[in-house]
Amino acid sequence: MKCSQIKKRFSDFLTGEIDKAMRKEIEEHVTACGSCRDELESLSEIWTKLGVLPEEQPSDNVRTRFYAALEKYKQNLEKEKMRPNLGKLLDGWLERWAPRRPAFQFSLAVMLLAVGLAAGYFLHASLQRSGEIAQLRREVHQARQIAEVSLLRQESLSERLRGIDMTSRVEKSDEGTLEALLRFVSSDADINSRLAAIDALHLLPDYPLIRQEFVHSLSEQTSPLVEIALTLTHHIKNL
Amino acid sequence: MKIRSYILKRLKQGRAPVNKATDNNLMQQVKDGNVEKMAILFERYHVMLYNFFLRLTSNRSISEDLVQDVFIRILKYRSSYKGQNKFIIWLYRIARNTHIDYLRKRKDEVSFGEQWDEVPSQEPTPPEKVEQAQEIVRLSQALAKLPLKKREVLILSRFQNLKYKEIAELLDCQIGTVKANIHRATKELGKAYFELSGGIAS
Repeated sequence: MKCSQIKKRFSDFLTGEIDKAMRKEIEEHVTACGSCRDELESLSEIWTKLGVLPEEQPSDNVRTRFYAALEKYKQNLEKEKMRPNLGKLLDGWLERWAPRRPAFQFSLAVMLLAVGLAAGYFLHASLQRSGEIAQLRREVHQARQIAEVSLLRQESLSERLRGIDMTSRVEKSDEGTLEALLRFVSSDADINSRLAAIDALHLLPDYPLIRQEFVHSLSEQTSPLVEIALTLTHHIKNL
Repeated sequence: MKIRSYILKRLKQGRAPVNKATDNNLMQQVKDGNVEKMAILFERYHVMLYNFFLRLTSNRSISEDLVQDVFIRILKYRSSYKGQNKFIIWLYRIARNTHIDYLRKRKDEVSFGEQWDEVPSQEPTPPEKVEQAQEIVRLSQALAKLPLKKREVLILSRFQNLKYKEIAELLDCQIGTVKANIHRATKELGKAYFELSGGIAS
């Protein structure tokens, strides 16, 4: 074995967690190898020297304090047992009411589940009937539409573009927004907003109104970019 | 004469009655609410723990405090005892945490190494033992110079007689690491001891 491998076994040699064969191999190696011998000797020396440090007995204080602490702990434990706490009280109360036999427990659980389901169902139905949710939905929709249209009417170009972008995210546009967008395609001064409006309309499904307007505005467009964009939308392409 | 030696023997055993229940078994009982059994575990291990702390801190009264802390913690956390590994590993784990917490608390007050001047004497030293007493001081000083991790591994192996496997389990590392650290710690200790003896480290 090489020196590095032998050295890895030095701790085994010190602690004694080593078999006879390995011990013999190390001993043979160090008789031949000076540097390993020096290291093992100095390690063994300090290791043995540590034996001088005596095992000591703690003072009686330790024992006295421990038994006092144990006694106190036991007393606290007893007190805790005596004091009825809220959780246990509730447990006891529930236990008195719950049926003893598993079959009854099971049927009680099923009954409670059925009651819960029924209550949920009726509550849901009554909400639907009163139409509160539908009303709410309509209101939200209207609010969004107002926001869209007002953005589309802005003076600033970037605000208008934002409006167009917003409408394009709405899945089903309404007549109001649709018309506003179509007005952009044919009459906005800026080419960018025309293009953005076309993009937004392109995302919508086929409407006769859109096709009609597109065909009409195609003949009036002056910018070739806008013309190309118009012809590429599916409203025109599928004609 | 015979009777006297018998009585002496009984007296010595008196406080630690022979009990064959395993540690794990006893601790399980403590966990289940029979905290009385903690006394047996205390009698079995408090001296061992005291000496562990004494090597770590080189201070008797601190070591006694830490022993007390460990057993109080065991009572406090008895419900977290799982009983999967040897009880002693669990015990040492709590002891290590107790020691680390103590160091953290002490950190701002006193720097390490200033506190161990207490070590040398329990009884007055007879003249023929002066040299040995000096050696004990030097060894304690040298130990105190080791970084905590190395000091710990050396103490666990050399004084607490734990096997590689147990140390690895306790420190949560590979056996190979334990071996290498014991080797390094011993080497470093030798160097520190040599320097304290007035020699020049090679």
